Amino acid sequence: MEWKLSGEQESYQQTLREWLVAVAGPEPVRAWFEAADPGPFNQRLLGDGWWGVGVTEDAGGQGGGVVELALTAEELGRAAAPSAAWLSSVLTVPATGRWGDTPSCWLTPAEGPPRVVDVAVDGDGLLTGTVPRVLGASSATSFVVAVRGASAVELRLVDDSDAVTIDLRKLLDRSRDVADVTLRGARSTLLEAGADAALADAASLSAVLVAADALGASQRMLDMTVAYSLQRRQFGVPIGSFQAVKHTAATMEVMVEASRSAVYFAAASIEGSDVDSRLHAAAVKAQVTADASIAADAALTVHGAIGYTWEYDLQLFYKRAKLDEYLCGDPHWWNEQIAIGLALA
Amino acid sequence: MAQEGSDVDFELTEDQQLIRTAVAELSAKFDDQYWMEKDENHEFPTEFYDAFAQGGWLGITTPEEHGGQGFGITEASLLLEEVSASGAGMNGASSMHLTIFGMHPVIVHGSEEMKKENLPRVVNGELHVCFGVTEPGAGLDTTKITTFAKRDGSDYVVNGRKVWISKAQESEKILLLTRTAKFEDSPKKTDGLTLFFTDLDRDRVDIRPIRKMGRNAVTSNELFIDDLRIPEEHRVGEEGQGFKYILDGLNPERMLVASEALGLGRAALRRAVRYGNEREVFGRPIGMNQGLQFPLADSLARLDAAELVLRKATWLYDHGRPCAREANTAKYLCADAGFEAADRALQTHGGMGYSEEYHVARYFREARLLRIAPLSQEMVLNFLGEHVLGLPRSY
Repeated sequence: MEWKLSGEQESYQQTLREWLVAVAGPEPVRAWFEAADPGPFNQRLLGDGWWGVGVTEDAGGQGGGVVELALTAEELGRAAAPSAAWLSSVLTVPATGRWGDTPSCWLTPAEGPPRVVDVAVDGDGLLTGTVPRVLGASSATSFVVAVRGASAVELRLVDDSDAVTIDLRKLLDRSRDVADVTLRGARSTLLEAGADAALADAASLSAVLVAADALGASQRMLDMTVAYSLQRRQFGVPIGSFQAVKHTAATMEVMVEASRSAVYFAAASIEGSDVDSRLHAAAVKAQVTADASIAADAALTVHGAIGYTWEYDLQLFYKRAKLDEYLCGDPHWWNEQIAIGLALA
Repeated sequence: MAQEGSDVDFELTEDQQLIRTAVAELSAKFDDQYWMEKDENHEFPTEFYDAFAQGGWLGITTPEEHGGQGFGITEASLLLEEVSASGAGMNGASSMHLTIFGMHPVIVHGSEEMKKENLPRVVNGELHVCFGVTEPGAGLDTTKITTFAKRDGSDYVVNGRKVWISKAQESEKILLLTRTAKFEDSPKKTDGLTLFFTDLDRDRVDIRPIRKMGRNAVTSNELFIDDLRIPEEHRVGEEGQGFKYILDGLNPERMLVASEALGLGRAALRRAVRYGNEREVFGRPIGMNQGLQFPLADSLARLDAAELVLRKATWLYDHGRPCAREANTAKYLCADAGFEAADRALQTHGGMGYSEEYHVARYFREARLLRIAPLSQEMVLNFLGEHVLGLPRSY
């Protein structure tokens, strides 16, 4: 068993991190949030060649696999970059088997993993219905939806923008976006992939990538917390010299390290189609995003009132971590999936 | 006592303050060394028990007409709290716990002869009693007990098994809950249970101590009852009404156990603070480390908060008001706060905490018990969830 990233993966991680520092620092990130427009960032991601990393070349990507996707998600989380379009697009690959330059998304509520939704399909494949809180819908030009067909669940692809209405919803975390999507007799084509397998694969992938995102945000908050505790002085000493603060930071560090090991392992497990990969994915979503949420509170506590201000960047990562806890299924839901897999009464 | 419309009064009465001081003084005669030895040797603390009997403390809640002092649960809880807080912990408290309040069903529902014959001997300490309710197959699902008392002329003949019967080994008599009608033959599941107060005849009852984690000065036992003959006069109240009789005592029991947990937490915290001040590492007392000081301060706050709920619960009971919510909450909070304090005291002591010599290991083992007994924390939450919040029964 290999317990470290390959040299190539490490250099990918490093390069992407540097790129994000240059392109998606707090200032441009805040500007994109203010404009409620992730488009410019998506364009840079595509234009500078990051968009298709982690999707096989056969499918139209640039090669690499789930570990590369996890590394990307982690770095995007660390930057609080507007990554809804990237994430939602990646999650559609298990259904479409294809990757393109334009974003896509599942028509499914963002608070759970992709699932079958209440959208009516008629004999001509025309779809009607509303799906609330769809991640990345504002950027998407095509939509994957799992619906109940005549005899079984069907996966269908919608690319009929005239019959689709997008109503943007406001999130506390502005680094991601969701929207209510209404279909009014939208044309769709049947996808070949088996619905059950595609939904399950997309669910596991969502679990690992959101966990990776939370890991990135946690690492960033830990870095900020340590830096602040050294800089901020009270009673004539840096607050970092108080054990209560020191131990809080140490506890965050433990969470982050444990999360990192678990996330990479789960990513490799999915990539290698390990028999327990779904369990691994569920475990990291449940553990890592819950820990990140705790770490966010700890970071805020150490920062005191400054962390509560709009101007200070901690809020970006705090909200990121808080949304990650609920995005694509909260820890409770994922623990339930693990429990179902155990032989409990 | 507080009048309608007057200020909330947090002051203990003069009597209550006196009880506290006097119990603390008497308990202090039995130091940690005494309890360590009793615990290690699995030996009943007879000297301690006798001292409390001679001091007249065992009858604190027994009505005056039966030789007691007729105080309420508030006073009884103060007594047991102080006993426990002295370092006597659960070994000390359990040696007298049932004597203090366990006779309640007899006092309320027993015949005059039964009271005359027994209560003065309970109060003077001569008669040790135990409480036989729980069974291996029933746990806290009390109506599912199967120990059966079959009528035979004017007697009953009892067969069955009991488990976790504290102090049975040392007891002359037992308050024994049985079924006189089977569960399936009873119109209501709480019907058909009958309570006896009778002799623990060793020829008919095999008493086997359970090997356990702590509180080893007072036994916990398994009872195998084989054709135990009980005369009708030993029945408490009416046949078939036993469940109701013991139900009365459950809230007071929770409060008393809460007070014992609270006392234990105080004992543990006291030791932790002493060690935190005395022990020096890196050239200063370890209590100077926030990593140690904060958990102890936190425990103080939690014990104080738990104490307030306990005081409210006993006050409500003594004023004849409903107190189930507060009694359960007190048990829950005191057990958690007590255990947490013991755990932190152990942590403060480091490796020394793990040795018997510093006594916190004993407190720790005993405090752990109170999150299980007399009912688990989870069952308290069941009660609060269902009966206070109005959520569906969850078990």
